[in-house]
Amino acid sequence: MKRHLHKMLLPLLVLLVGCTVTTREVAPNEKVIYDAGYHFSDEKMIVADMVKSLLSKPPLVRSTDRPVLIVYGIANRTSEHISTSAITDDIRQALLESGRVRIVNETQRKNIERETSYQYGGSVAADTRIRKARQVGAKYMLTGTLRSIKKDQPRQFRLKKKTLMYYSLNLELTDIQTGLIEWADSVDVIRESSSPFIGW
Amino acid sequence: MTPLLQAGLAGIRRSGVRLFVLLLLVAGVTGCAGRLNKASALFYADKPQKALAELEKGDWFGQRNQLLFLMERGVVLHQLGRYQESADSLLQAENQINRFERLSISEQLGSLVTTEWLSRYQGEYSERLWVHTYLMMDFLLLGRYDSALVEAKQALELFGRYPAALKEAYFSRALIALCFANVAEDNDAYLVYRRLADDLPDPTPVAADLVAISGRLGQLDEVRHYRPYLPRPLPTGAGELVLFVASGRIPRKRPGNIVLPPSIRFSFPYYKSSRSPAVRVEVVPAYPALPVLSTNLAGVVERSLEERKLAIIAKETARVAGKEALAQAIGNEHGNAAEAVVRVSLFLLEEPDTRSWQMLPGRLTLVRIPLPAGRHRLRLELSSAGDLSRRTINLPAFDLRPGQRVFRSVRF
Repeated sequence: MKRHLHKMLLPLLVLLVGCTVTTREVAPNEKVIYDAGYHFSDEKMIVADMVKSLLSKPPLVRSTDRPVLIVYGIANRTSEHISTSAITDDIRQALLESGRVRIVNETQRKNIERETSYQYGGSVAADTRIRKARQVGAKYMLTGTLRSIKKDQPRQFRLKKKTLMYYSLNLELTDIQTGLIEWADSVDVIRESSSPFIGW
Repeated sequence: MTPLLQAGLAGIRRSGVRLFVLLLLVAGVTGCAGRLNKASALFYADKPQKALAELEKGDWFGQRNQLLFLMERGVVLHQLGRYQESADSLLQAENQINRFERLSISEQLGSLVTTEWLSRYQGEYSERLWVHTYLMMDFLLLGRYDSALVEAKQALELFGRYPAALKEAYFSRALIALCFANVAEDNDAYLVYRRLADDLPDPTPVAADLVAISGRLGQLDEVRHYRPYLPRPLPTGAGELVLFVASGRIPRKRPGNIVLPPSIRFSFPYYKSSRSPAVRVEVVPAYPALPVLSTNLAGVVERSLEERKLAIIAKETARVAGKEALAQAIGNEHGNAAEAVVRVSLFLLEEPDTRSWQMLPGRLTLVRIPLPAGRHRLRLELSSAGDLSRRTINLPAFDLRPGQRVFRSVRF
């Protein structure tokens, strides 16, 4: 019996190690990629590249008066449910941190209206009320589109499936008065992954 | 107990006990679909809340029926107008289906020597398409047009993989095109409508869209080609009411068997050909609708199962060979009586997998009604050509802006 004990214990040990739950902290700038899909590290890279391009090229590079921007949502034209509002949030934050532009808070417009109505509803002291018609109009509008192309390896006899994913984020800065596109750039992420067809 | 059976059981006591425990487990497993059947019965008895309660009593079905549970829940929640929850459930179903891309050896081996009921239900190709279809409808109804487009793209990918099986899913295909058109992706919308026009018996139902989109894309030869198919007079309006009309019920899979002596049983699921009657929709006050597009779901699911036929036959043959070898091996070791007991057990175990998404309608119809801009309070008069039944539905009032599409879902 003792002779066979180690033979029985070894698989049990392997099983126990395999079943252990593990967690670890991941640094925000660490690149963690599980498959060919869109990951949070892609978002960081995309935002950094785009903000750098936007601030280092005309018209913003030569602006000295901190022009006012409005950031509209990025249209998701991929075949995955990607929250593009996270990209716009990060772009907005990076632009504000640069100190080179001012940004209209478009997402809070309804709340601003509600708060203004409340202040003029009779409960707020007149000398502390905000003044109406003092909001700043945006000079530029930032819009974008996230696209993807997925290519699967053709079906044939093989043990692994390869997938090629291509993501492209295109951003445009439009002068609201003239309707002209004053700046446009895009950033691409191309990734190949392979996953086994067979598992236990 | 007969002396022969007693002898048989005694003969296989050691290996046989294990086999019988397994058989008992399997028998329990095959009986677990009862909750789904009960929920389905409640749903068709016009008690969707009770059907949902039945489905939400917990994950009693285990991993094997998890996909069915999620799909059924998605349809019931859609019917109840809880579109966000419906989408959540169907997105989970979608994740499950994606996981099935990887073949599980343990599962395949398990079902190879026992029954198909032991493996996780993976959904017919058509059912996978209808997961995307219901998600498209849910997202359009929620006004989340980007998310609807994501589902449209995934549905299109599925079409690319199984074009023959899904060819007649006209409703889903028109919905895909609508998702593209809704976010002004004219090129993609045109491509889907064009292929649909080629596959339809008559391109009239998509002619108006093809003429409009081709015109915007500057493809004047296409405009000239499809203009003769335009309905006369062509209904026009500043905006559009889009109705998703579900009617009837999808047929259930039936068990089929071929028995060969001494105890060989080939079992397989099949669908009996059926056709859900077309639905006529009229709005009051009267506005003319564009030509409708509909899918007879029974025909599509039948073709999907047909497409899997070769794989089913191959696995069934391997299972029959495996069971025969097992019975003979036990016979050689423990005698004829033991072999007889095992043969009877394995014969009874060979049950065709008749699991399916039961709460789907028999027909899905896409009705588009151009309307003038402004506030609308409409009544729908629905009638079925097959059984002469009628139903009136009062739509909640809605405002329509120029260029806007308003989506509503009804079940008849």
